[in-house]
Amino acid sequence: MNWTETARSALDSLIERRTRSALTMLGILIGIAAVILTVGLGEGAQSRVSSAISALGTNMLIVTPGSVTTGAVRGGLGSSSTLTLADAQALGSKLNCPDIAEVAPVTQKSLVLTAGSANWTAPVAGTTPSYLAVRNRQVVAGQPFTQADVTTQAHTAIVGSEVAQNLFGSASPVGRTIDVSGVPFSIAGELNTAGSSASANQDNIVLIPITTAEDMFGQTGPYAQSVSTILLSASSPATMGAAYDEAQDLLLQLHQIRNPLQADFTITPQTSLLATASSITKTLTVLLAGIAAIALLVGGIGVMNIMLVSVTERVREIGLRKALGATPGVILRQFLIEATILGVAGGILGVGVGVLGALVLPHLVSQPISISVPAIVGSVLVAAIIGLAFGVYPASRAARLSPIDALRSE
Amino acid sequence: MITTGPPRVQGPADPLIELIDVSKTYKMGTMEVHALSDVDLAIHDGEYVAIVGQSGSGKSTLMHILGCLDVPTTGTYRLGGTDVSRMGEAELAEVRNRRIGFVFQQFHLLPRLSAWRNVELPLLYAGMRNRAERKKRADEALEAVGLANRTAHRPTELSGGQQQRVAIARALVTDPAIVLADEPTGNLASDQADEIMTIFESLHTQGRTVVIITHEPDIARRARRLIRLLDGRIVASEMAPVQ
Repeated sequence: MNWTETARSALDSLIERRTRSALTMLGILIGIAAVILTVGLGEGAQSRVSSAISALGTNMLIVTPGSVTTGAVRGGLGSSSTLTLADAQALGSKLNCPDIAEVAPVTQKSLVLTAGSANWTAPVAGTTPSYLAVRNRQVVAGQPFTQADVTTQAHTAIVGSEVAQNLFGSASPVGRTIDVSGVPFSIAGELNTAGSSASANQDNIVLIPITTAEDMFGQTGPYAQSVSTILLSASSPATMGAAYDEAQDLLLQLHQIRNPLQADFTITPQTSLLATASSITKTLTVLLAGIAAIALLVGGIGVMNIMLVSVTERVREIGLRKALGATPGVILRQFLIEATILGVAGGILGVGVGVLGALVLPHLVSQPISISVPAIVGSVLVAAIIGLAFGVYPASRAARLSPIDALRSE
Repeated sequence: MITTGPPRVQGPADPLIELIDVSKTYKMGTMEVHALSDVDLAIHDGEYVAIVGQSGSGKSTLMHILGCLDVPTTGTYRLGGTDVSRMGEAELAEVRNRRIGFVFQQFHLLPRLSAWRNVELPLLYAGMRNRAERKKRADEALEAVGLANRTAHRPTELSGGQQQRVAIARALVTDPAIVLADEPTGNLASDQADEIMTIFESLHTQGRTVVIITHEPDIARRARRLIRLLDGRIVASEMAPVQ
């Protein structure tokens, strides 16, 4: 009996038991749709997180004081103030560090801001004009402050959109005056909206010249010139490694430390944040897809169950076919084809439901869902394999039936 | 001409069916049941044989072995000169398909298939790919049993006698060496039973080998040869008087 005839016979028998076939397919359908939706959800979340992180500044390296490797003696990460403006200036020299494009030292404090009767608390960051380039930010209204403002310790500020919103409502803040801890600043510009990343709200910030900040924050003594962070940007993604090494070597030299393991600073590439964040979402995706895979497995067991029932029910038919000359191989083939049809049909319908869900659900839960082509192709393939694999046992049972016992049974 | 040694070529005098010292033993738990003991039997081409016996006499077992649905525990079965007693499942399936036509007491038609689709089944398993050819052969077989106008009917739309005639058409469609009928009239009213027996008789007059297993003396009497089984042994094998 050739394949076409066997397939037709298999299809006939599935159609004859259409309610049961449909319910069996439903099990596979739900499993496949669940896999497509969870993988899509995971990929959607991942691309959202990576775009949020790259919005913070591509090619960025973050230098923080303190070291995690010697935590027992020193304070933890960021607890000491070992980075200085001199460090930042040295890092900015093309001679020392040819692969570092921009350097922005940052010293930051959370302060009360007042404008008229409104007040608001936000982090105030003293920095240089390079900050915008390193963090990939733009001034959308007004002007950024300049190097001249830094030199002259000007009382000029740039505000984030959330600060502007809370102090001035919908009116433009440019040209207005705010009091930062009682010191008046004129607002030169407003930052673009960047949204919040996992760590911080990028729109709730005030930027002022770093020299002004040093003066205001009132640091004296050995920490007078210290900064809380130095942000660096590499000249391109390819030179991230080189920039990292140059910064590390230079800072070790400036701080007169021989052993890199005893460094009193830590350099964190932005990409490592990205890697951490994407590994978290990846873990979540794998977990969800695992649950979906269990649903699929249950669907497969459903196929096996229904095929076993079908074999038992059709014992006489199988016996007759054998008496008329069907070899065990032909019987095996017919039942395998039946199980595979159940799997593939359930899989294709599951892809339909999954894709529909991926198109409709984002409007309801405001969570992006990617439609992943490999996941679709993979699921149909997996559904076929599941049908086939879970069909093997029932089919071999049918093939092994003795024609005498089969014909005799009532 | 050299005539010694295998391969064995069947001559006109050689029997079509040849059982030599055939026994069949079933294990029922620790008990051994001897369903057939040392059966020797030869049936020639064109014979019309009835095998009779009480239930439990071993006639079903004999029919299963003759029909290649089962193999003997010991002994040899030659069908058309070929030893089939040690064949595997797949080979036996092919022998059944090519050489044996079955007619069962319960008809065993597939209910969702029309008459001709039931009749074409053995041709499908024989590997005949051309659907039109299969349909033609099935229609001819149905015509031969007087059902030319019922080819598209499903079994449920046919009477018991008509269903059994479809089954006979199915048994004949591959042009087998033997037609093996197991209580073919057991589920039929007497007038329909008579119709069926008439068909078997006409098959015999056309020269086909027919073996009928039955416990009904009326049916058995119509055959040309009677083989009586008792407790797994052949106790009588007699030719009917020429009518």
